[in-house]
Amino acid sequence: MFMKDMKNKLLTIKQAADKLGINPQTLRRWDKSNRLVSVRGENNYRYYKKQDIEEYIKNNLDDILKMARNWVLNDPGIEPLSGFYCKDSAVFQARLTRLRNELSKTESLKDKYFSITSVTGEIGDNSFGHNLGNWPDIMGIFFAYDLKKRKIVLADRGQGVLSTLKKVKPELNNHLDALKTAFTEVISGRSPESRGNGLKYVKHTVVSNEMKLFFQTGDAELQIKESDFNLNIHKASIKFRGCLALIQF
Amino acid sequence: MTIYLKKFGTLLNGRMLGKEAFAAFLPSLKDVQGNEKIEVDCDGVDVFSPSWGDEFLSSLINKFGDRVVLKNAQGPSVKSTLEFLEGINKMKFKIED
Repeated sequence: MFMKDMKNKLLTIKQAADKLGINPQTLRRWDKSNRLVSVRGENNYRYYKKQDIEEYIKNNLDDILKMARNWVLNDPGIEPLSGFYCKDSAVFQARLTRLRNELSKTESLKDKYFSITSVTGEIGDNSFGHNLGNWPDIMGIFFAYDLKKRKIVLADRGQGVLSTLKKVKPELNNHLDALKTAFTEVISGRSPESRGNGLKYVKHTVVSNEMKLFFQTGDAELQIKESDFNLNIHKASIKFRGCLALIQF
Repeated sequence: MTIYLKKFGTLLNGRMLGKEAFAAFLPSLKDVQGNEKIEVDCDGVDVFSPSWGDEFLSSLINKFGDRVVLKNAQGPSVKSTLEFLEGINKMKFKIED
């Protein structure tokens, strides 16, 4: 059963647990109850077929935010499942197009699918623009959506907003101020370029289009909602290096 | 000369892609005459993000100044992004009906 040529299609129990964002012990329990069955290797250890894990996640999209949060917290970092992984901006652009196509088919979203798409596009593009050539470990972003629950999640393991903005505004010394700056001031983390407006546009569009946004970088998080121009920035209970965004519509 | 934005795609997103679009189109701009108007036709563009728009339109305006005129810019995504860019960049686009 366990053949050498299958090795690259198999995950260890730890790798599978990391991708699912659960404990290996939970996977052992699921194996015994046939919820998610392992393959035994020559050493009798449990292995999991990558395809089985991907299928399981697709069929159990109960919390894409939790999955993304686990991904940014993983240490050491691992690539997300291929279905949620945009390694470069070309892949992201293709998947963003697919999201636009799916959203545009929903009658109740006909007046705002383009706003949802452009907000998603700006957040994803920001991750690539600010980390190109400088990804600390895993390049690219996590990008998943659950249209039934009307949620879109994006995450990156990049440098984070503080580190990026400090290059052009050295007086910034905490994530809270960096997050506020990113969403309110016209400042570019890509100096000497003078432009930087992606997150200002995101705020403006979320507030005007019956959407909600949760955004975290470092230990700072914010929540923006319809008709509320306050950023509601506060300290988060957990800290990580990159960025995590949840868009609800 | 008229530039049809939909020929770059109906979902125009991303700073790098906006920059690339302008660079790729530059050779087509070399025959523009001294006083020739540059019309940018936005018809058919479904999603127009400010990052793409800023890169492409700002580069065009830097090169041709007020000879750049936007047409068919009433689509909701185009309209809202142009208004946003006007506010951020403290300028006004020339828009014709």
